[in-house]
Amino acid sequence: MEDPDAPLVERARRGDRRAFEQLVERHQHRLLTLAARTLGSADEAADAVQEAFIRAWLGLPRFRGGSLFSTWLYRIGLNAAHDQRLKRRTEPLDEVREPADPQDSFLMSELSSTLQAALNQLEDDYRVAVVLYDVLGCSYTEIAELTDVAEGTVKSRIFRGRSRLAELLGTRTAEE
Amino acid sequence: MVAEMHPHDIELFEYVEDELPQARREEIAAHLATCGVCAAQVELAATGREALRGTELLELPEDRREAILENLPAPERVAGEGRVFSPKLVLAGLTALLLLAAVIGVLVNSRGGAGMESSAGGTAAEDATAASAGGMESVQAKSSLFSSGPADEVAEELQQKGFKASLQKDRVVVRGATEAQVREALADRGPGDVEVVVKNP
Repeated sequence: MEDPDAPLVERARRGDRRAFEQLVERHQHRLLTLAARTLGSADEAADAVQEAFIRAWLGLPRFRGGSLFSTWLYRIGLNAAHDQRLKRRTEPLDEVREPADPQDSFLMSELSSTLQAALNQLEDDYRVAVVLYDVLGCSYTEIAELTDVAEGTVKSRIFRGRSRLAELLGTRTAEE
Repeated sequence: MVAEMHPHDIELFEYVEDELPQARREEIAAHLATCGVCAAQVELAATGREALRGTELLELPEDRREAILENLPAPERVAGEGRVFSPKLVLAGLTALLLLAAVIGVLVNSRGGAGMESSAGGTAAEDATAASAGGMESVQAKSSLFSSGPADEVAEELQQKGFKASLQKDRVVVRGATEAQVREALADRGPGDVEVVVKNP
């Protein structure tokens, strides 16, 4: 599959910051959405995105184009989000930060929605699968590659994740 | 009526996504008409899908985006790609050549007249060393190295070791020292992402 990011990636690999800026512009919102929907925290998600882009910049020389750049980047993003979650668990309670930036208010309102509350209760595997497929529009192949499982498992996780989410949202159908 | 074996989640998913061949789709539809358990699962999955697809992408605040771009460290260079001869490599090569020339000079002179041995040979070696050191000093008035972080800990460690180190954004700036001194002071940390800028007097 031809990667639409390939020309920019090639320039960025050689240290072209302007090319990398364009990649940031192109992917920042999707990467933030992935991190925010999986973490449920605006501040932690923004930190994870910042960390992910810096890791990607540093790792670009080793990126050989074996997958789409976006797939590679989302995987870095998921790892950064995972690290944020671990950090949250190990930080003392009085050091857990509250979102202080007023620009994060939109994010905060989004992440305090009923849908996000339900997403937060989903198992990690289901949450990642439904966010990647239904929110970001990734293909089965991309998700399988990102999560190291077979495409059939991806489909099963999306199906179960959606069902569980609907249960959590309290939208069981009348027929049931 | 007893329903036949329940379809797997994967097929129910493909049913919801309308990805099944027509014949199989009709079989599943017939099953769903008689199996309340599967029908309920399909209904729930469709409801969950609609809820998720109603969400929009989130916007990264402008200051966060700027912070990403401002804090990009110097990139790692691809082995065998890009510039083969960096300024540092050229300097290191020239220094090595000058030192080699000095050593050869000492050896040649040591085989010559006894009166020339110490003065001329010594002078050649000292000149070569001084020239290379002087060259390094003048070119390396400002240089960078990379250490494992975090940056604030690197700055603190250098301050504790007597260096004039300060944290500027995510970089550590050291004044009044040579790169070699700073590199030695941070030897235990090993290479990493924190840029340490060394500014000589």
